[in-house]
Amino acid sequence: MQLKLRGIRKQFGENEVLKGINLTVNGGEVVALLGENGAGKSTLARVISGAYPANEGTVEIDGSRVAFHKPQDAMKAGIQVIYQEFRHNLFPQLTVAENLYAGERSGRHGRLWSNRVLMQKDADEVLRSLGMAMSPRSLVRDLSVPQQQMLAIAKAIGEDASMVIFDEPTAALDQAESEALFVQVRRLREEGVAIVYISHRLTEVFGLVDRLVVLRDGVVALETIPANSSEREVVAAMVGRPIENFYPKEQHATDHTVLQLRGLSSAGHFSDVDLQVRAGEVVGIGGVQGCGKGSLLRSLYGLLPVTGGEVQLEDVVFRPTTPRAAIGSGICYLTPDRQNEGLAVQQSIARNISMATLDAVTSAGMVNAQAEEARGEKMRSALNIKAPSVRTPVSALSGGNQQKVLLGRWLMADPKVLLMEEPTRGVDVGAKAEIYRVMNEQTSRGVAIVLVSSDLPELVEMSDRVIVMREGRVVAELAGDDISQESVLHHALESATP
Amino acid sequence: MNRLSALALQLRAVWMLLGVALILFIATPYFFTRSNLLAIAMAASVTALLAIGETFVIILGEIDLSVGAMLGFCSVITAMVLPRAGLVMGLLAGVAAGICTGMINGLLVTKVNMPSFIATLASMSILSGLTLYLTQGNPVGVSSDAFRSIGQARILAVPAPIWILLVCAVVFGILLARSRFGRQVYATGDNFEAAHLSGMPVTRVKVAAFVISGVLAGIAGFILTARLGTAQPSAGKGLELTAIAAVIIGGTSLTGGRGAVLGTVIGALLLGTIDNGLNLLNVSPFLQDVVKGAVILFAVFVDRNAGPIRAVVQSLKRVIPRTQSPTKESAPTP
Repeated sequence: MQLKLRGIRKQFGENEVLKGINLTVNGGEVVALLGENGAGKSTLARVISGAYPANEGTVEIDGSRVAFHKPQDAMKAGIQVIYQEFRHNLFPQLTVAENLYAGERSGRHGRLWSNRVLMQKDADEVLRSLGMAMSPRSLVRDLSVPQQQMLAIAKAIGEDASMVIFDEPTAALDQAESEALFVQVRRLREEGVAIVYISHRLTEVFGLVDRLVVLRDGVVALETIPANSSEREVVAAMVGRPIENFYPKEQHATDHTVLQLRGLSSAGHFSDVDLQVRAGEVVGIGGVQGCGKGSLLRSLYGLLPVTGGEVQLEDVVFRPTTPRAAIGSGICYLTPDRQNEGLAVQQSIARNISMATLDAVTSAGMVNAQAEEARGEKMRSALNIKAPSVRTPVSALSGGNQQKVLLGRWLMADPKVLLMEEPTRGVDVGAKAEIYRVMNEQTSRGVAIVLVSSDLPELVEMSDRVIVMREGRVVAELAGDDISQESVLHHALESATP
Repeated sequence: MNRLSALALQLRAVWMLLGVALILFIATPYFFTRSNLLAIAMAASVTALLAIGETFVIILGEIDLSVGAMLGFCSVITAMVLPRAGLVMGLLAGVAAGICTGMINGLLVTKVNMPSFIATLASMSILSGLTLYLTQGNPVGVSSDAFRSIGQARILAVPAPIWILLVCAVVFGILLARSRFGRQVYATGDNFEAAHLSGMPVTRVKVAAFVISGVLAGIAGFILTARLGTAQPSAGKGLELTAIAAVIIGGTSLTGGRGAVLGTVIGALLLGTIDNGLNLLNVSPFLQDVVKGAVILFAVFVDRNAGPIRAVVQSLKRVIPRTQSPTKESAPTP
């Protein structure tokens, strides 16, 4: 199939998001759609899928004009979209098999009564062919986030797609799972499926796609093939100016140990972790999903029970019990899931920023709203949060700016130790650079940072030291020149290689 | 939250109230009289007090179905204690009963992890049953003149219950809008996990909201008993739904994180005004609930469709200049 877009324009109220997009995608081709948050990638995907009608322009499939009024129209034409909010497309209370065949119209698994045995058998085959280790009988709500993501992908590509649009498919996946996904993408390409691949991760895009299309402010800013381009050129096209050093890592590590873990364990999550973090140092933790790196941060923050070992914070033994206690002792935790456990999105920027430090603007139980807004204003300019005012509700902000608000909340608390998990997930290039700048600034003031990230280049470039975890244990500690993407991956996956 | 939009939500209830008042003002000469307006406020004061407590609970994303039953329970307790221990102890006993039941509701929701709908449905049933058992189904008369005078007394020509409502509305309104506790209520209701991870005492906040609901049910029970001179065991029956309706009409979101006391009070006044107007217009009492239901639907409809409605208004505005513009454009062409 060949999809051709001509002069697509889309506008929401006064805000013109797409300003005349021309794009052709051929069968058997993977086209990357790149751009900062707000550049129009997701809107374009929704126009193609029929979720949004375009204000102007035409969509052609194999030379004949089509008009999709709703997503079902596009699905009938064989266009499948895996949205970033993939969980919206799954039924959490149903089983994996039932989810896979929820949209089935052939009646193969029964019309009035479903033939569960056959359904599970078929599902098992599909899952196996995709290299996914999950039971067709398990409930979707019990799956991990990456498993759900993979299921959403399996569901979409299982339905005889002639075109698949992936919107940030690897945002929730770790390296190994991403690799499994890439295998699927390549297989689809072999089968002649047209693929649009939206991602923030340039490294993976360069290895995967046949053509790169960069959007900026609703127009195509660059169209090229990977062999003729470079990450630098793409980034420059995305932000409209060249970025000199993408990872502006500064060295601020001192000799003063702030956080020390001795044999820390949390039953079922990780065991026997020894770790030292010094003031001004960034210690990265690498490993695949489920290796215990996230659980380690959560237990330090009092969200998971510590079942053994000891935490020492500066000179005193610290027992992590609740987030409140952790914040009180100077430990702050940047969650990877800003929607579900980070931000109160209906509340204003200022209120979100002061959530962890309300006491500072409270006297006699009453909040001084002026002082609160002044603090928010300061943080807004320090972090370059783009919003009309600190009274703007957080829901109105882009992902990158929301992340900065969340980060601002913790900077306000003046932490000694900042636990950062996926600090740049779903965040555009500009905001990423901003967040790295903040990390430098904090370490220069003596803050100790523990960084958990599945973005390997970020982990490698921003860390002074990297420890690698596997199956709940620390398997390697890398420093200096030993830190590389290859070495982290090697230790993270060691059991898989003979 | 954006202050303007918060205010606009509450203003919606104000507009509806003014609209209904205007209609009644035109339709009947009796509506806009001093005594009638005071009667409306008197009648609304009980539901408004319950609804203020309910506002805290609903902003937290929970619901309290037991407020009506709590009111009945508290007023019976007040009426039983009062002859033996005096006015102040009677009030305190009623409020204490509200605090205890609210606390139990809160602990069931937070510590036992029950959905508030179920927990308060059960406590509603238990409390109304207990109330009937305590009184054997009979009203409890109160002979104390001092007590009755509270229901009928006037300060600056305004009945005492309205003053009590005003004081409660101001105190709890400020508590919600300006205090640290209020911030914690909004944040917890908006995103429980985020509030928890920000170190907020989320469990305590939820329990406190249910306790506030109980306290206000106690005060409302006290007022109602004083006004009637007896404590009716079934006094609060169905009031929980009116209170919830007032909260929703006042612009508070059932999903939590959004709302305010002012809107709730206006919502209660609006429902009271509708009741009163339908009586004045001689509408069958059986139809009154139909009208109230329609008002709730309308308020929620406006709330849910604020965006589309605004878009329609804007496009209407755009159409008007557009129909004029061709004449402007055609003028320069030869």
